[in-house]
Amino acid sequence: MPKCIIDGREVEFTPGQNLVEVAKKVGIQIPFFCYHPGLTVVAQCRMCAVEIEKMPKLQTACSTPAADGMVVKTRSEKVIQAQKATMEFLLINHPLDCPVCDKAGECDLQDFSFKYGDAYSRYTEEKRTYLDLDMGPVIKKNMNRCIHCTRCIRFGTEVAGIHEMVAVRRGNSTEITTVDGRPLETDYAGNYADLCPTGSLTLKDFRFKKRVWFLKRTSTICEGCARGCNMTIHQDNNVIYRCTPRENMEVNKYWLCDEGRFNFRYVNEESRVTVPMARGEVDWDAALAAARNALSGKKVAVLVGSDLTQEEAQLLLQFVPRHLGEAPLYHFGTPGIRSPQDDMPADRILKRKSKTANLHGLEKLGLKGFEALPSGTQAVLLVRGGRARLPELKGVVTVGVGVFRADEAQGFAAVLPGASFAEKDGTIVNFEGREQHLRRAINPPGQSKLLSEILMVWANSKGGTHV
Amino acid sequence: MLVKPKKNFLQRFYLVEVIKGLGITMRNLLFAPSVTIQYPEERRKYSERFRGMHYIKATNGVENCTACMLCPTVCPAECIHIEAGERPDKEKYPVKFEIDVLRCCFCGMCEEACPKDAIKLSTIYEMSQTTRQVYEKDFLLEQRGNK
Repeated sequence: MPKCIIDGREVEFTPGQNLVEVAKKVGIQIPFFCYHPGLTVVAQCRMCAVEIEKMPKLQTACSTPAADGMVVKTRSEKVIQAQKATMEFLLINHPLDCPVCDKAGECDLQDFSFKYGDAYSRYTEEKRTYLDLDMGPVIKKNMNRCIHCTRCIRFGTEVAGIHEMVAVRRGNSTEITTVDGRPLETDYAGNYADLCPTGSLTLKDFRFKKRVWFLKRTSTICEGCARGCNMTIHQDNNVIYRCTPRENMEVNKYWLCDEGRFNFRYVNEESRVTVPMARGEVDWDAALAAARNALSGKKVAVLVGSDLTQEEAQLLLQFVPRHLGEAPLYHFGTPGIRSPQDDMPADRILKRKSKTANLHGLEKLGLKGFEALPSGTQAVLLVRGGRARLPELKGVVTVGVGVFRADEAQGFAAVLPGASFAEKDGTIVNFEGREQHLRRAINPPGQSKLLSEILMVWANSKGGTHV
Repeated sequence: MLVKPKKNFLQRFYLVEVIKGLGITMRNLLFAPSVTIQYPEERRKYSERFRGMHYIKATNGVENCTACMLCPTVCPAECIHIEAGERPDKEKYPVKFEIDVLRCCFCGMCEEACPKDAIKLSTIYEMSQTTRQVYEKDFLLEQRGNK
């Protein structure tokens, strides 16, 4: 492999890699704003300037591919001077509103200004200001904070496939805006907020909810569709505040769709059933008794939501023959998607048609898709994680285990509140057969229990008066 | 092993030592300057930088605070609770600003961290209450100092 020397350290690289990536290999940080590994290189922020021997001027590291024998200096006198000048230039029109800005704490501009910039501003003239138009329900724009890195423009054209962000006018009066000031149309708008190195584009949903340094992060998988995008849950004090994409070049690269990003809302929702129910709120014993009563002596079918993990499904496969006799098991999740063959790409980027994460895993375990209840079925045990769409069930006694909204659970003989995807560990299998792990970010709310606990209590307790 | 100090006869003779001791007591009683004052009629003068009851500084009737959360971040006692919100005349303001004063250790770090010159510790030190008080925003907005 060819080698180059960065700050006196020899680094091996694969041909074609740019200097930012090569330096990252040995832990040397080159600051940048406009560069993003998932987007084309434009080299217009000038922050990544480095000194290369035998080159007369400073070069931008993001647009310079490493070459064999290249000698690069990232912290030389000249480079530090250039970084300071660039920072000062970028901060000329940047308002000093970090106390208000949601990006503060994870802001590239803030971090690099602290690390590479000057503590004082020489600028005394009036800063330019803009009037911001509404950008739809996902993104809140604040053009005053923008440094014209154009990452958002490039994301739109290159990843989201829609040219909706543009730069109008030139020079000092450049404005990044949507075409004709229309609201954003893409389903991937949340990524604009992640991409933006400043607080110009921030999430409306997360606005002023929490300062980012209070958030604890848990690496997990999105349960929004059969792709299983890698994401991070940001939580504080058992409340999820947001989800952000996590880099995985083989699944979702750097992106996450809005559906998956905001899917967590049901976890903290008011109407979620978190107390055992049996025609009203009861304790666990009474609810279990009601559940057993409702199913005993009847012809039962078990519907397994394809938002459950492999472990949970396996537990059910062992539990049902022992405690519910010959009851058949089916999986359900998305109307019209019964088998892996139905699960097609829903767009050209990430989304899949199956709106539950583990359809392919349950098929692997031998479960069949739900079409209609076998004739003569009197009772149904409904197990789901919270995302699977409930099928229409009429004329049967229903017992629900898992996450339900109060209105969904209306008419159920019993509800045993379970854990959502953010509250349990487990394995899910995406459409390529890739096994990925859900991680527990928060505790189940109220009296909810994990499915394993519920089944254990069910199996081991007499649980009431019915037998 | 305990070593008993050797004492001479006078020291062992109880009465002499007692009279000596009483002498010290009487001297302090009659001639030493008193360290107490007649509170509340008399009051001590404290430094301008004394750290007492909190308040949020307001400029032209608008609170300086923008709910940046730096004070709850730096607070070692975790006694400050803020909820941020938006209103037409101010992009970000504290909807809720509570100080659990029983937890507060009056270190003044909040004052130091505040970028907006909003949270202040006044020189008021008479803060006893008959209930377990949490200072609400309205209470904190009373301007009770000139810092």
